[in-house]
Amino acid sequence: MTHVSIKELTKVYPGATEPSLDRLSLEIPTGELTALLGPSGCGKTTTMKMIAGLLEPTSGDVTFDGRSVLRDKPEHRGVVMVFQNYLLFPYMSVADNVGFGLKMRKIDPAEIKRRVGEMLEMVKLPDLGDRKPSALSGGQQQRVALARALIVQPNVLLLDEPLSNLDAHLRFEMRDLIRSLQQDMGITTIFVTHDQEEAVVLADRVALILDGKMKQYDAPDAFYKRPVDEATARFFGGHNFIEGSATGTRYEGAIGTLQLPEGVPQGPGKLTFRPENLALGADPSTPNTLTATIKDKIYLGTQTRLKLSVGSQIIDIITNPNQVETATPGQTLTVTLPPEALWMLNS
Amino acid sequence: MKIFLLLLPAMSIIVLLFFGGLLIGLMRSFNYMPVIGLTDPDFSAYVAVFTDREFYLSFMLTFHIAFTSTVISSILAIGAALLLRRSFAGRAIVNFLFQLNLTVPHLVGAIGMLYLFSQSGSFARLAAEWGMITKPSDFPALVFDPYAIGIILQYVWKEIPFIGVIILANMQSIGEDYESVARSLGASKWQTFRYVLLPLIFPGVLSASVMVFAFTFGAYEIPAILGANFPAALPVLAYRKYTDVDLAARPEAMAMAIVIAILSAVMIYFYVRYSRRRVRG
Repeated sequence: MTHVSIKELTKVYPGATEPSLDRLSLEIPTGELTALLGPSGCGKTTTMKMIAGLLEPTSGDVTFDGRSVLRDKPEHRGVVMVFQNYLLFPYMSVADNVGFGLKMRKIDPAEIKRRVGEMLEMVKLPDLGDRKPSALSGGQQQRVALARALIVQPNVLLLDEPLSNLDAHLRFEMRDLIRSLQQDMGITTIFVTHDQEEAVVLADRVALILDGKMKQYDAPDAFYKRPVDEATARFFGGHNFIEGSATGTRYEGAIGTLQLPEGVPQGPGKLTFRPENLALGADPSTPNTLTATIKDKIYLGTQTRLKLSVGSQIIDIITNPNQVETATPGQTLTVTLPPEALWMLNS
Repeated sequence: MKIFLLLLPAMSIIVLLFFGGLLIGLMRSFNYMPVIGLTDPDFSAYVAVFTDREFYLSFMLTFHIAFTSTVISSILAIGAALLLRRSFAGRAIVNFLFQLNLTVPHLVGAIGMLYLFSQSGSFARLAAEWGMITKPSDFPALVFDPYAIGIILQYVWKEIPFIGVIILANMQSIGEDYESVARSLGASKWQTFRYVLLPLIFPGVLSASVMVFAFTFGAYEIPAILGANFPAALPVLAYRKYTDVDLAARPEAMAMAIVIAILSAVMIYFYVRYSRRRVRG
């Protein structure tokens, strides 16, 4: 039960001119599961290591429940880190791996044995205690790594790309396991990932870090509905950015006049909308409906991507393949942009 | 079949030179040496070896030299590797200097030891210059001494970089993430070294130190140059018998050589077994 607060955290590695992490500030409420999302090299792992005490920040502070932990040694912080490649100790059995943290605390061996048994039960590997890590599959190794971390009842759990090494079908299983253990034990959890899908699927809140700076810290859906800028929208797969300006809830610009939702940023900027939130084939008199010409059609299996030209602009839409089965380039159709699917980005 | 053919050149050298030599040595150790008319094999050379008090003294001395040199150089090499893997200014230079004496032959090193540490060597002269001693025998006997300090010093000096380089490469390929995991799980710095890094580098330490042990147990030149006359190290003793004017002493030399080989193998076996249990158990 720990409220983690990161204040203006900065890291400049010796010999580097640019900071790897530039004044990152985050509040992570007790018991929440937060993702640090960003491309590789953006400072995510650096941030984790500084929270864990494995790396010293150049400036800034990390506090747990209001108390600075920068002077605490890593073994006294109550922060456990699970690495992407699990790093199980190869010469120890699974049970010894899981019991490692307790052995270091000089807990009675009988007690360690009992708690290791319980923990292996919790991660659904009750019978594998005697095996060596090399005899386990990747998914099993990860569960052992998780058990090894949780057995010491950390205040804060740090996960490095927890789902990225797993097959698609294991990802959801693991996601559910991590979420349920984390919720049951109420551990404040931070994980880093470069994969926006992993962040969205697992986290309560996502912090997007680009070029060592935090762009947006929000609930997962906000990155799709209300991105703060073009780079953020692009990181989440946004394609449509059209010049224009917002006055109240009215957009005027390169593709005409449209109704916007309440609360959009005002003034000149770019109109953005997700390719998947549009409707095709409505009556041209329906509000927010444009007439467009198909420039290109790309079949993607479960969906079809269309490039449409509206005036001089190209917009990208994703739709159900059945809906556009007979559509061909050159054809015209109507496309409706519902106000709630639209957002403005200030330039 | 193809593999067999490809391995043939290497295997024939090993078989002919190594096993061939071993076989001849073995035959001679059993007093089978037709050239000088010995055609009835017996165990008399072994009996002579095992009833000779000097053999036991030599064995104890040789074991002391090999064991002490191996342990001291392994511990210091681990320490050196721990320091050298950190990044610090001038690391490349320190690393170079650390490995420099790998290129110095043992013999040259031994003569250096002689010049520096003997009772008439440079350090003794300096001590006399500064009035710390008045005659050569006041200077502690570090070469030709009964505790083989000079020999051990020479081996330690020479083997630290050898073991160190192997362990350093080992540590670098392991990386620091295992230790980070251990620290975050609550291990102190010492516990991290004892329960994580040491077991991880252990295979490297083990193979390097086994090589050092086998070498220092069987090497001739250093104890010949820096050792006391009595008791002499086993290889020195064997060589003396081998070059004895009496050709009949030769089977005894061969028996001793065979015993040295068997003893090395047996000691290495127990060393490997024992240390594996200690470190990884």
